[in-house]
Amino acid sequence: MASPAAREWLGIQSLPGATQTKLHELLSKLKQENVSTVTILVMGKGGVGKSSTVNSILGERVASVSAFQSEGLRPMMFSRTRAGFTLNIVDTPGLVEGGYVNEQALDIIKRFLLNKTIDVLLYVDRLDSYRVDNLDRLVIKSITDSFGKEIWKRGLLVLTHAQVSPPDGLDYADFYARRSEALLKFIRLGARIKKQEFQDSAVPVVLAENSGRCKTNDSGEKVLPDGTAWIPNLVKEITDVILNGSSPITVDQKLIDGPNPNDQGKFFIPLILAFQYFFVAKWIKRAIKNDIKNESKPLWELRDMGLANREF
Amino acid sequence: MVFSAQHQALGPQLAGAGTCRPRRPAASSSSVISASLHESGLSSQQTLSRKPLHWIRKKTLALSSVSAVAAAAGGGFLFHLASGTPPPGNPGGGGGWGWGSGGGGDGGGFWSHIFSPLSAIAEEDQTAAGGGQEWDSHGLPANIVVQLNKLSGFKKYKISEIFFFDRRKCTTVSGTEDSFFEMVSLRQGGVYTKAQLLKELETLASCGMFEKVDLEGKTKPDGSLSLTVSFTESTWQSADSFRCINVGLLPQSKQVEMDSDMTDREKLQYFRSQEKDYKRRIERSRPCLLPIPVQREVLQMLRAQGKLSARLLQRIRDKVQKWYQDEGYACAQVVNFGNLNTREIVCEVVEGDITNLDIKFQDKLGNICEGNTQLGVIRRELPKQLRQGHVFNIEAGKQALRNINSLALFSNIEVNPRPDEKNEGGIIVEIKLKELEQRSSDVSTEWSIVPGHNGRPTLASIQPGGTVTFEHRNIKGLNRSIHGSVASSNILNPQDDLAFKLEYVHPYLDGLYNPKNRTFRASCFNSRKLSPVFTGGSVVEEVPPMWVDRVGFKANVTESFTQQSKLTYGLVLEEITTRDETNTICTHGTRPLPSGALSMDGPPTTLSGTGIDRMAFVQANITRDNTKFVNGAIVGERNVFQLDQGLGIGSKFPFFNRHQLSVTRFFQLSAVKEGAGKPPPPVLVVHGRYGGCVGDLPGYDAFTLGGPYSVRGYNMGELGACRNILELATELRFPVLNTHMYAFAEHGTDLGSSKDVKGNPTEFFRKVGHGSSYGVGVKLGLVRMEYAVDHNASTGAMFFRFGERF
Repeated sequence: MASPAAREWLGIQSLPGATQTKLHELLSKLKQENVSTVTILVMGKGGVGKSSTVNSILGERVASVSAFQSEGLRPMMFSRTRAGFTLNIVDTPGLVEGGYVNEQALDIIKRFLLNKTIDVLLYVDRLDSYRVDNLDRLVIKSITDSFGKEIWKRGLLVLTHAQVSPPDGLDYADFYARRSEALLKFIRLGARIKKQEFQDSAVPVVLAENSGRCKTNDSGEKVLPDGTAWIPNLVKEITDVILNGSSPITVDQKLIDGPNPNDQGKFFIPLILAFQYFFVAKWIKRAIKNDIKNESKPLWELRDMGLANREF
Repeated sequence: MVFSAQHQALGPQLAGAGTCRPRRPAASSSSVISASLHESGLSSQQTLSRKPLHWIRKKTLALSSVSAVAAAAGGGFLFHLASGTPPPGNPGGGGGWGWGSGGGGDGGGFWSHIFSPLSAIAEEDQTAAGGGQEWDSHGLPANIVVQLNKLSGFKKYKISEIFFFDRRKCTTVSGTEDSFFEMVSLRQGGVYTKAQLLKELETLASCGMFEKVDLEGKTKPDGSLSLTVSFTESTWQSADSFRCINVGLLPQSKQVEMDSDMTDREKLQYFRSQEKDYKRRIERSRPCLLPIPVQREVLQMLRAQGKLSARLLQRIRDKVQKWYQDEGYACAQVVNFGNLNTREIVCEVVEGDITNLDIKFQDKLGNICEGNTQLGVIRRELPKQLRQGHVFNIEAGKQALRNINSLALFSNIEVNPRPDEKNEGGIIVEIKLKELEQRSSDVSTEWSIVPGHNGRPTLASIQPGGTVTFEHRNIKGLNRSIHGSVASSNILNPQDDLAFKLEYVHPYLDGLYNPKNRTFRASCFNSRKLSPVFTGGSVVEEVPPMWVDRVGFKANVTESFTQQSKLTYGLVLEEITTRDETNTICTHGTRPLPSGALSMDGPPTTLSGTGIDRMAFVQANITRDNTKFVNGAIVGERNVFQLDQGLGIGSKFPFFNRHQLSVTRFFQLSAVKEGAGKPPPPVLVVHGRYGGCVGDLPGYDAFTLGGPYSVRGYNMGELGACRNILELATELRFPVLNTHMYAFAEHGTDLGSSKDVKGNPTEFFRKVGHGSSYGVGVKLGLVRMEYAVDHNASTGAMFFRFGERF
């Protein structure tokens, strides 16, 4: 699928001025590092606010969002340029269907991303759901299986619906800490990253609030309950991830197919065969010989062979 | 003071049998071991149903069981029984026969003899008499004692009662309770003539058990007679040692006719020479099989009783003979007690030495004919205990029967020991075989009605189906065979499902006389199976079935180490096609989506990706099986290692090593006595199976988890399809009534290898990849009825399965 020609990023103008300034700062920082194109992959379960987040970042209503139904059945890529800098955001359909990971959707996403480079993965989930379950792990696992463990070095955990009133007895910071900790743990488990390794390159957590009722600060920026403007914060984290030294993920045919298990260990087959012959087969043969030797013969046969010594 | 061994054989003559009977009752007994095999003419394959082995005991054997001890009295010598007349002036046995008192009990070689006192004729007479035939009243006043010779020769008397009167003890015992009853051929309620009664008396007198014996009748009011056998038992001086010798095949000592007008000196010389002969005879005899513990028991019997009486000899004979019979030496017989009146009595046994093995073929009418089968084929199946020089044992006969039967070449097999006429005491093992027809072919047809498009059967939906089989067995008499079958459920359109098989079997690859037992097999085959890989997990709705068709050629060599342990290795060339339910070739697994549509992008079914794979690989299998049945329960160990080694020949050059090792042990938990009708022991079964594949693994060859032979309580392949597999199972079987119940627990896991199967069918079909189950069950004949709890869902279900899990 040929990506549509990148359009001028007009939506940025609709963002509050303070945000625009910060974004420009970040973009120029990227440019200084010779990064002129950034591709952001947005993934997550259905209905967590992936498309809304995309809309918020771009400041345009590019992905249709409906309150009751997830619309996106196929991945969409939105490309915007601004001052020689290209921003690609790939919005994907929800990965869960019928209580299971939708392999088909994942497959479509993989095909869509063929020959593209992913700079940042935004793994989106809601802040205001309290529980993490096995399904989260499966989703994370299938993302890992598709793009490899390395993708999490370029990953960002985005928690939407940040403007939540935490359950009784918990203050906001506490709730946020617990929620993000639980999710990060599942990312670690699902991606099968070693604890140590995970601590070294932690997946950053960013909060987002896409609702129109989001509080704004004096300059009209959408702010989180703690007062930070989240869009610039998100973009800043994205920039940090891009610049953290890990290499972007290039999706090619090999990555999509995964390693061919049929080729694993082929080299060792002669060795395995030798082992089987000399140890397993010989061992069984020896056991058979032993059986023949130790076979308890009926008395009449023993007597006939003269082994009875007239004792029985 | 000796006498010859000859006379016991002459007993029947004395008894007036006069017919040509074998000399020894032992030898005349003949057991026939036979198994009949039906040839089912209709069935295509060689369905050879085996009748239970049954043993036909001929009448002669029944007769031999009432053989008796003939004992010589202390008098000294015995006369030749052929004389038929009691020697006059015999001081030792008043009413008896057959012995004189030459030396006056000087402890020389005194003999007694055992033979069958009953003649075949007597038996026949009796059976004739038994049939409720008419009898005559004695015509005398009731309750008077009549001497035998006072009876009328023209009347048929009914004997209503028989009593034994021991003159020494002065006790009267009702007939059936006395141990001498077996000596008498007369039966209560039988009808006999005077001549028969006299003959009976003569027989009794001649048997040597009695010093004196007499028969007298007592008239009864109803016209029948009550018969009393009054006797004085023979006794000899006590002995304190016992010796048992095998006199089979020993030439009979030459009987020198003793002249009645020998001088005393001559007589003495005669007896001395007899004695010497006997000593030589003992020396030349072979040791018998009778074990020392039994001999010790006999010795105790001897010691317990001071005097050696006829009854004691009878008991000793019974004991010795019982041991032989119990141990399967059907032809063994105590023929004589010698050295009576000395400290050591000698028990002479003919054990039944095989002098010849005779294999005969019979045609359909039972006539002896030339057989097509080479004798070597049969000979190598026979246990060596049936060969010349061994003692015949019925178990060896049974084994021969089983082994020959397993050749599946004969419709009727008889293993029959018969006395060797030319060789006294010898047994000829005669094997009679009826060969099956060499060529057989069979056509069977059937109609099947398949539902038409409305679900209703229509005329067009009635399909003719059929099977054609042919078999050419025992080619060249070497048990080589060609077997072929073609079957189709729709003859009009056979390409739909044509199942065929053509197999050539070539046994004795290393030669007929080489003990190495290798068999070569080559076959063309096709098969069609539902793949358990492409089935749904527990939560997926109906997954469309996937058929795996295999067509190919296989050649292998099987080497049998024991009956159960063997090694097979060979080459397989095959073409595998995967088809969906509409019989079209499909390349990927399918699964219904929640929307109802089918997801067609499942795991690839074949290695090539085209739906058709061709490959050649080496297949080897080694099985070690030392299981045996203990009262019907399997006990022992079974290990199987199977290997498929790809050669890189075929579509996409498949190179792989696919291996499976299964270990099953059946532990007997308590010791039980073995024997028919005894309960089987409780058994603990422990089973483990590992399977793995390195290299190219097509979807249809993936290991599957779940199913009645994998993890019970799940459907076939419900738990996963994987590259490596580990199954662990345990089962506890305990006998209940005539069957057994069992409790089991099983676990199967993919060892995380599901992802290493291309397309990950486990994940695609939403299978769990591992699972446990436990349950209980009961064996009902061939069917296992079990309740298994699926541990993944924690739900239980009832299952009926055929056959064994392990």
